[in-house]
Amino acid sequence: MDRNSRPVTSAAGPAPGLGVDLAVEVAGLDLRNPVMTASGTFASGREFADFIDLSRLGALVTKGVSCEPWAGNDSPRIAETASGMLNSIGLQNPGVEAFCERDLAWLRGRDVPVIVNVSGHSVADYVAVVERLERETVVAAYEVNISCPNVDAGGMAFGTACAPAAEVTRAVRAVTRRPVIMKLSPNVTDIAEIARAVEAEGADAVSLINTLLGMAIDARTRRPKLARVVGGLSGPAIKPVALRMVWQVAHAVSVPVIGCGGIVTGEDAVEFLLAGATAVQVGTANFVDPTATMRVIDSIERYCARNGVACVRDLVGALEG
Amino acid sequence: MGAARTEWFHRPRGGRVTCSGADIATHPLLERVEVRRNERVAEGVGLLVLHAPRIAATIEPGQFVHLRISTGADFILRRPFSVHRASGETIEVLYQVLGRGTRELATREAGDVMDAVGPLGNGWRVPVGAAHALLVAGGLGAAPLGMLAERLAQGGIAVSVAQGAPTAERLLARDLFDAAARRVVVATDDGSAGETGFVTGPSARLIAEDRPDVVYVCGPEIMTRAVAAQAAAAGIPCQVSLERLMACGIGACLSCVVTTTSGRKRACVDGPVFDAEEVCWDGSELPPRH
Ligand SMILES: Cc1cc2nc3c(=O)[nH]c(=O)nc-3n(C[C@H](O)[C@H](O)[C@H](O)COP(=O)(O)OP(=O)(O)OC[C@H]3O[C@@H](n4cnc5c(N)ncnc54)[C@H](O)[C@@H]3O)c2cc1C
Ligand SMILES: Cc1cc2nc3c(=O)[nH]c(=O)nc-3n(C[C@H](O)[C@H](O)[C@H](O)COP(=O)(O)O)c2cc1C
Ligand code: FES
Repeated sequence: MDRNSRPVTSAAGPAPGLGVDLAVEVAGLDLRNPVMTASGTFASGREFADFIDLSRLGALVTKGVSCEPWAGNDSPRIAETASGMLNSIGLQNPGVEAFCERDLAWLRGRDVPVIVNVSGHSVADYVAVVERLERETVVAAYEVNISCPNVDAGGMAFGTACAPAAEVTRAVRAVTRRPVIMKLSPNVTDIAEIARAVEAEGADAVSLINTLLGMAIDARTRRPKLARVVGGLSGPAIKPVALRMVWQVAHAVSVPVIGCGGIVTGEDAVEFLLAGATAVQVGTANFVDPTATMRVIDSIERYCARNGVACVRDLVGALEG
Repeated sequence: MGAARTEWFHRPRGGRVTCSGADIATHPLLERVEVRRNERVAEGVGLLVLHAPRIAATIEPGQFVHLRISTGADFILRRPFSVHRASGETIEVLYQVLGRGTRELATREAGDVMDAVGPLGNGWRVPVGAAHALLVAGGLGAAPLGMLAERLAQGGIAVSVAQGAPTAERLLARDLFDAAARRVVVATDDGSAGETGFVTGPSARLIAEDRPDVVYVCGPEIMTRAVAAQAAAAGIPCQVSLERLMACGIGACLSCVVTTTSGRKRACVDGPVFDAEEVCWDGSELPPRH
């Protein structure tokens, strides 16, 4: 695996300031830096526009969208846990039609690559969403969520075995020429095997990890803290698991890996790059600090400048020892 | 007149009741704030005074701030608190010490800095032509109603208050209510002030006797729901402030949804104040405290 020798053509060029080249290429997308938002933690960006300049993001990954509107799960939907949180939102979304009208319309002309996160209860659902989105020019790529632990039918079921993961990839691949990123579930015995299965069906990249299935109980009331009982764990608590999985997958496939899970600081992001990720996603940290993505970008740049790294791509997979 | 036809136009803003004819779009900001005072005001309740000039300049009654309490490397979500009073460059928060976040908040001292996101949420609105408002506060629900009482009185609207708390000491915001209201009726669980029992006794009486033009409610959801039913039975428009667990506080994560007649809405941006008649009381409220 030699990701460093990939040809990189960057429209963005080196970032101004410290003279570090932060540009990366992922699945054919030229990104001005390796930092994306993690789906479901950033909506479609509008809520964050009061705090940050969205055009500084490497890419913006939207909240999962399905064919029909989904109401999501009952409340309470979150519980704070040690260094992280559980959520059982359940992919609440207004459906792809409303998403195109409201969210994509707003994103048009924002000067940031838009990656739409796609969810479905069936293979046909995923295909229908992508087919509808093919008409929208603002969409740069798809991230296909086969790893949501919070819905009953579909969701994670597609991401926990090779055959269904491959089937979704093949079906989506067949209806688009845009980059297809498969978002993998950590709730599996061997994530590398799933990564290879989706790569074989034409995935242009993989992103990982989605949340880890977990649970929280209130000892006082003897009740689960989430209405749905179980939910997805995110935040710093999952970073060691995410790093391990990114490292494993980066060795197993030759398509780019997008690393995600517990990134709060630039140093966290650098660790993912070293483990083999070409880009990273910042999720739960956005809730604590709406400027988290900007902080991470700036601090990756400072790390590079301090350590004599001229080009951030040189960090990818550069783990020593 | 049915409450369904109420036009909710005005916001109680800046010492007078404005009539903008539309919601004022709020743009939250991230502000570094400094603790000016942090003191115990009752058993398990603190008053936090923050120097927050930019938030103080625009905050409206019923809006809240999302505080980043932890200063260390610890990961902890922000915690939402209603702004109880805003004057000049400061905002005040009344908080109940419950768990990890509020226990840590209680240890903050004058001079400490933290960061706040705000103003958040929609805030209370005043129906066109309202001359008399009833405020019903349960426990910490007094926090966002204090600022409302002050602003309504300044705007020439008559204010009555029904307030409930576990004990006399825990009747919060008394100073604001006494100064703004022409009538305050209280109830305590232990009878240490006013009548013994829940605030729903006084609220029923004030609705019947005073016939207010609007009822504002904040407190435990079970109480809020009961008062909303009293207002509905009397045909009086009613607004309720609801609490949900919040992660982002800015509308992005969908943690905080309230089920309404027009679908699930986010308490942090579409609320926390809702028209009582649009709320579907689906039992998704937070578990009662203690
Ligand atoms: C819009 C809004 C305005 C609020 N205004 C005030 C206020 O003015 N004063 C005040 O004291 N509190 C207010 N709250 C509640 C306050 O946010 C919580 O009490 C606080 O987050 C608890 O944090 P903790 O770490 O101490 O408790 P945790 O350890 O997180 O939890 C302790 C207990 O508090 C409950 N709890 C946790 N978060 C909330 C919450 N958001 N709402 C209700 N219960 C919660 C939990 O279910 C648990 O039983 C408000 C909440 C919202 C959503
Ligand atoms: C509230 C919430 C909602 C999420 N929604 C989605 C989603 O719609 N689609 C998806 O693929 N992942 C979703 N995720 C998973 C995140 O994108 C990310 O994979 C995970 O949270 C781990 O990263 P983090 O620790 O940085 O948050 C969600 C996570 C959270 C916390
Ligand atoms: S707290 Fe995130 S949407 Fe309301």
